Amino acid sequence: MTKILVIDDERPTLGMFHLFLEKYGYEVLTAENGQEGLDIYETEKPPIILTDIKMPGMDGIQVLSRIKEVNPLAEVIVITGHGDMDLAIRALNLDATDFINKPIKKEELDAALQRAEERIRLAQNQEDEVRVQTQGQIMVIDVRGNVTSRSEAALLDAYRQAQGKGSGILLRFSENASINGAGIAILTQLLLDCRAKEIPTAVTGLSENFRRVFGIVGLATLTEVFNSEDEAIRSLNA
Amino acid sequence: MKFFGSISLSKKIFITTLAFILLVSGIIALLARWILVSSLTVELEHRGTAIAQSLSDRARSHILDNDIPNLVSLAFDAAYLGERRDLVSYIFITDPEGDLLAHTFTRQFPHELHGIPAPTTETARTVRDMVVAGLPVFDIAVPITEGIYTIGSVHVGLNKRHIENLVAKLRITFLGFISMVIVAVFFISLRIANYITMPIAKLTRISDELSRGNFDISVDLEGSDDEWKPQECPAYLNTDLPCWHFDQASSVGELDETQAANLRTCRQCRFYRKVPGDEVQQLANSFRNMVWSIKLYRRRLRESEEKYRSLFVSGPDPIVVVDAHTFEILDANPRAEDVYGYTREELSRIPYTALDPDFASQCLVRIDAMTEQGNSCVYCSKLIHYRKDGVPIYVNLHACPISYKNRQALIIASADVTEMIEKDAQLIQASKMKTLGEMSAGIAHELNQPLNAIKMGSDFLTMLSEEDTPVTPTQLRPITSEISQQVDRATDIINTLRAFGRKADMIREHLNVNDSIRGVLKIVGHQLSLAGIETSLELAEPLPPILAHDNRIQQVLFNLVTNARDAIAKAPAPPEDGHRITLRTLVRDDKVLVQVQDTGVGIPESVRGKIFEPFFTTKETGQGMGLGLSISYGIVKDYGGDIRIESEPGRGTLFELFFPAARKAIGAMK
Repeated sequence: MTKILVIDDERPTLGMFHLFLEKYGYEVLTAENGQEGLDIYETEKPPIILTDIKMPGMDGIQVLSRIKEVNPLAEVIVITGHGDMDLAIRALNLDATDFINKPIKKEELDAALQRAEERIRLAQNQEDEVRVQTQGQIMVIDVRGNVTSRSEAALLDAYRQAQGKGSGILLRFSENASINGAGIAILTQLLLDCRAKEIPTAVTGLSENFRRVFGIVGLATLTEVFNSEDEAIRSLNA
Repeated sequence: MKFFGSISLSKKIFITTLAFILLVSGIIALLARWILVSSLTVELEHRGTAIAQSLSDRARSHILDNDIPNLVSLAFDAAYLGERRDLVSYIFITDPEGDLLAHTFTRQFPHELHGIPAPTTETARTVRDMVVAGLPVFDIAVPITEGIYTIGSVHVGLNKRHIENLVAKLRITFLGFISMVIVAVFFISLRIANYITMPIAKLTRISDELSRGNFDISVDLEGSDDEWKPQECPAYLNTDLPCWHFDQASSVGELDETQAANLRTCRQCRFYRKVPGDEVQQLANSFRNMVWSIKLYRRRLRESEEKYRSLFVSGPDPIVVVDAHTFEILDANPRAEDVYGYTREELSRIPYTALDPDFASQCLVRIDAMTEQGNSCVYCSKLIHYRKDGVPIYVNLHACPISYKNRQALIIASADVTEMIEKDAQLIQASKMKTLGEMSAGIAHELNQPLNAIKMGSDFLTMLSEEDTPVTPTQLRPITSEISQQVDRATDIINTLRAFGRKADMIREHLNVNDSIRGVLKIVGHQLSLAGIETSLELAEPLPPILAHDNRIQQVLFNLVTNARDAIAKAPAPPEDGHRITLRTLVRDDKVLVQVQDTGVGIPESVRGKIFEPFFTTKETGQGMGLGLSISYGIVKDYGGDIRIESEPGRGTLFELFFPAARKAIGAMK
């Protein structure tokens, strides 16, 4: 049974998490503040951590960075206040796996958990996070897992290939993909270059959360985000 | 005597003079008469006696000779000799036995004279007052002696008429003289009386006229000179000139030096003049001065009265004169009618408390207190008055005790500040909305917590129902109870917010400040703890209520707490036991004291005096308007309270709010 640690200063929320996560088959550990959460993490080493950001004393951002110091591969999902994108992006820059908004919707929680699980699986299987393939004239860059500074080489490689062919680039994100601050910077650079060289680009498969992040950091103005792959390909071929 | 007292002075002088003269004249007349009549009578008697004795000498020989005819002729000769004819009425001679020897009666000898005892040598003569033949006479009898023998007697009857004629002549002369004297004295005394009393009568008449208020009569009295023209006096036209003897005498001591220097007296006063003359003229002159003086003072008074009357009537604010004990409205200016919507008659029928129900409790008590301190006027701000139509208005009023028509009264000038108060309220409301805006992120977070729990709970139930998993009561119970609790929690937050956002009513409520503090903490408490600030409450229980509006007090507290939070955020390092905001309530000297203490940066001395000024802010541009504290200050002052600051840069700040505790008695009156 996978262990999961939930840190939140709201006891009712903790209670509800307990119900859900137990139902999902996790071994649930709860902590009411950051310090207690870190202590539990030290002893139990749960692979997935859910932490509220706004907490008295040590806040979620601090918890996240401490955990990442101990274990960069830990999957930390932060819980933000509704629409608090600044904090969400700060968390992403600190390599958070994902963020979910309070009030927590079941689907978002499910998606975040799935993403985390998938990434754990990828990490365990040591699969490539970024893969490049051609589909007709279009270079398709598949992004799975996390786009981080580690993905830079693969992304630049794919970009060079696409440039050589002079065709469009489709960034295809998988369900569980997430992007951190460094990843955003690389993508921004890449998309800016494409625009300078008039290479058409398209993005597809982004989860709702990351679409919002794209919008906020300005990536959505550099490329077009499509809901379905077909639409994206049609637009690139046009 | 009473009669004498009630008659006029001129009559008194006249009557007394006259009576005195009459009395003196009468006495003189009587004395003169007595002296004249008696000496005349004596003289006549002497003459009669002399006639009788000479007759008796000559008759002696005739009697001895018994020569009756010679005796008779002797008697006739003696009786009718010269002027004796008028004086002597009769003469008769008797023998010692009293028998008639000779007489001068041409008719029968009157029987009254029979038997008159003859005088003897011892008696020498007898004088008898008697009536003979209807005529009054003095009968003088002298004996005729021969040696030591009496041989007869001579009776001479002196005509009393003659004497009386003489006396009557004398009397007429006297009476005539005295009458002349009386007439003269009559006129003289009349003139004297008139001379003395005429000016007095005139003064009396003028005084009466003046008493009736007729100051337009002429005060010219006899003997007044034409040169006296009070109109030429500079003070006649300018009553503000400080040239009045009385004014100078009474007020020089009270004036300061510059004003005293302005005092001037005409080198030669055209007004107050001494005229030469007797006392009556001087009295008249003084009286005339006095009348003019009164006239001028009266005019001065009227000018002053008109000036203040016009101030009263044309004043832009309502002014009413109110009896200090019954609160009856004694007078009101037209503006009072406009503002309160009552007519003058209606105002005179209603008590002042109908306009201002809280006057006694909120303002009068302070007048009494001020009077004890010697300062009589009192200023009461933001009282609620009621118009005739029941619409409340806010007024600031100034009440001064005065004496009005022999009553103790208060003159109350009130200024309608409703508009200002409304603007104030709008400003407060705007600032409150701003506070709400600033709090919105925190509120959203606060509301998210219960919503989150509710959402997760219901999602969980949905999930179970979708999976067709039977729900056990042990699963269900915590979820439903949690949902219910969280809905209550959300409701509570929303209610607090709504109460806070509501515009304050006009009427203040009895408020327990502790409740307001808890309300504030309900919204910001969690925020503070998220910012790493501990809040500690040290609330006094029970706490006397204050008269205030809950949401305004909350606004003040919000402001102070957010300021404290910002001050803490600026502090470089927390103290050993961490940052803390302490909210304390206590009772001190009838006052409810609220303290908000923080461990922030503190306020430097240079800034401390300015922090209540509007638009003063230490925050960066765009961070704050600088209105929070000035509005808070206004709110606290409105409730009769005060704010004090103690601060030490680097060690934190202590804000102290003082509120007067609401008196139960006032509460009971409402």
